[in-house]
Amino acid sequence: MSAGLYAALSAARHCAPGCSEKDEVWRSGKMRLYRYRSISPTSGAVPLLIVYALVNRPYMMDLEPDRSLIRGLLSHGLDVYLIDWGYPDGADRFTTLENYLEDLLAGCVEEILKARGLDALNLLGVCQGGVFSLCFAALHPERVRNLITMVTPVDFHTSADLLSKWARKIDVDAWVGQANVSGEVLNQLFLALMPFRLSQQKYVDLLRGAPDRARIENFMRVERWIYDSPDQAGAAFREFVVWFYQQNRLVRGGLVIGGRSVELRTLELPILNLMGTRDHLVPPAASAALRGLTRSSDFTTLELDLGHIGMYVSARAQRQVPPAIAEWLAAR
Amino acid sequence: MATDPWRRWAAFAALFNPAVDPVGPFRRPPGAFGPFFDAEQFASAARAFHQSGEDPQTAAAAFGDFLRDQFGGLLGGIWGGSGPCGEATAAEEAPALGPAREQQERLQRAAAAARRLAQAQRRLQRLWSDALGEAARAFVSRLDAPAAPPTPEAVHALYDAWIECAEAAYARMAHGEAFGAALADALKASTDWREESAASIEAWAKWLDWPTRSEINSLSLRLRALEEQQRERKREREPPVRAGAKKRTAAVKKRRGRGKR
Repeated sequence: MSAGLYAALSAARHCAPGCSEKDEVWRSGKMRLYRYRSISPTSGAVPLLIVYALVNRPYMMDLEPDRSLIRGLLSHGLDVYLIDWGYPDGADRFTTLENYLEDLLAGCVEEILKARGLDALNLLGVCQGGVFSLCFAALHPERVRNLITMVTPVDFHTSADLLSKWARKIDVDAWVGQANVSGEVLNQLFLALMPFRLSQQKYVDLLRGAPDRARIENFMRVERWIYDSPDQAGAAFREFVVWFYQQNRLVRGGLVIGGRSVELRTLELPILNLMGTRDHLVPPAASAALRGLTRSSDFTTLELDLGHIGMYVSARAQRQVPPAIAEWLAAR
Repeated sequence: MATDPWRRWAAFAALFNPAVDPVGPFRRPPGAFGPFFDAEQFASAARAFHQSGEDPQTAAAAFGDFLRDQFGGLLGGIWGGSGPCGEATAAEEAPALGPAREQQERLQRAAAAARRLAQAQRRLQRLWSDALGEAARAFVSRLDAPAAPPTPEAVHALYDAWIECAEAAYARMAHGEAFGAALADALKASTDWREESAASIEAWAKWLDWPTRSEINSLSLRLRALEEQQRERKREREPPVRAGAKKRTAAVKKRRGRGKR
């Protein structure tokens, strides 16, 4: 049995993530914009652009056939696009948040709208990508029809936010200097949020019951994703930590990107805010704060009993999240 | 015993490093994957606790001591390290004179940063050790009196209880001021060390007429400035909001206004 598990893990070590067919429709520098091929009759609806975080890779949204948020959305007839930010290297160290938002994200939006002959699309922002989506919607309200935020931090100073407590003490100017920030070091910080569970128990849990091939392959794909941590473009990282983690500008105000003020209270569009009640990276209170900060008269909150990663890959998420998003969008 | 998952676990852990007997206490053999080895050791300690024959308090204390030792080095990377962290050496404080003074000062600053890093890491390790101690006490207080032999389910339950106690104690410590400050100091010191080391290497690169990071950064910034000029010209040519979009935005606002609830 033990040798069998070892062999199964070894056989699964090359399992590639990603299961849905997609086409690259635009690129700029290292960034790629993908459009997923439909797998069921589309509703002819407004396209949905998924904006993922800069940390970790976006294939988590399409990990494998039965653990794919994207596949779930496609099966509900949605027209799904995804931004892959790529792996920044030394040449990207001066890339700023303005570049990410106003050049890359805005470029993706324009490209989709131009191709589809539309004036606005739907945005789905995940974690840090949710912060980007909020900022983009505030800067370009005419371009966003509906906004979905998933496990997105808004109030960075809630009491349960351990990462924020650490970030507020760090001299981020010195840390970044003129360099990029190592993805490996960031990973150490993320794992140190719950070191016993994340670096011990999850492996021990593999031996409970008799894990079948599918579970082992899923484990190995998630393992690969966890340690596939791109370095962070130094300038953008510094801005993100200082403006959001340290100064909490989404809540306190004073956020300026590209010379333009970003104020959540200008948001009037429909918003669906999804959060995990067991999220250790983005405490639910950090996400829930969004409700009181916008002027949206069509604001929906969906709390799920899930953790940060479980929100995209757990079996329960597959059953609950895509239909919830599809139904919410269909009604708008 | 073939159905005992912890026996299977031990055999499984050994597959990662078959050349080494994984029974040695508090010792992780080279090549062993940490969590597998730690879990196997935990199972051995749980069995030893239940079968020790000592009085319950002594057996529980021994189990708690094992846990503190076994998990003392769980956090590596920035949290670890064992460099010298005492007072500055005479070499660090020697006045820098002569043609090599710049290089000497850089080396002195790098040495000071390395010492500050080691000091911060010691603080982190002390806090980590305190948290482990608290976790071990909480765990031991939950233990029932030893009863031989433990069922596999009992060992699983003990393991889960240990993880729960350890995470709770760690969270209390990690949310505290002292841990955050020590972590920030460790990061700052490692950054300072890196900066001074890079400056020393760059000085050599200049002497050898090799390209340096400063030069590449300078070129990158010039390129960015040109790109920004190009974008600015493009923006001037193409206003960001099209007329159709403005009309649509107005229509959307009107529709939303009607639908307010």
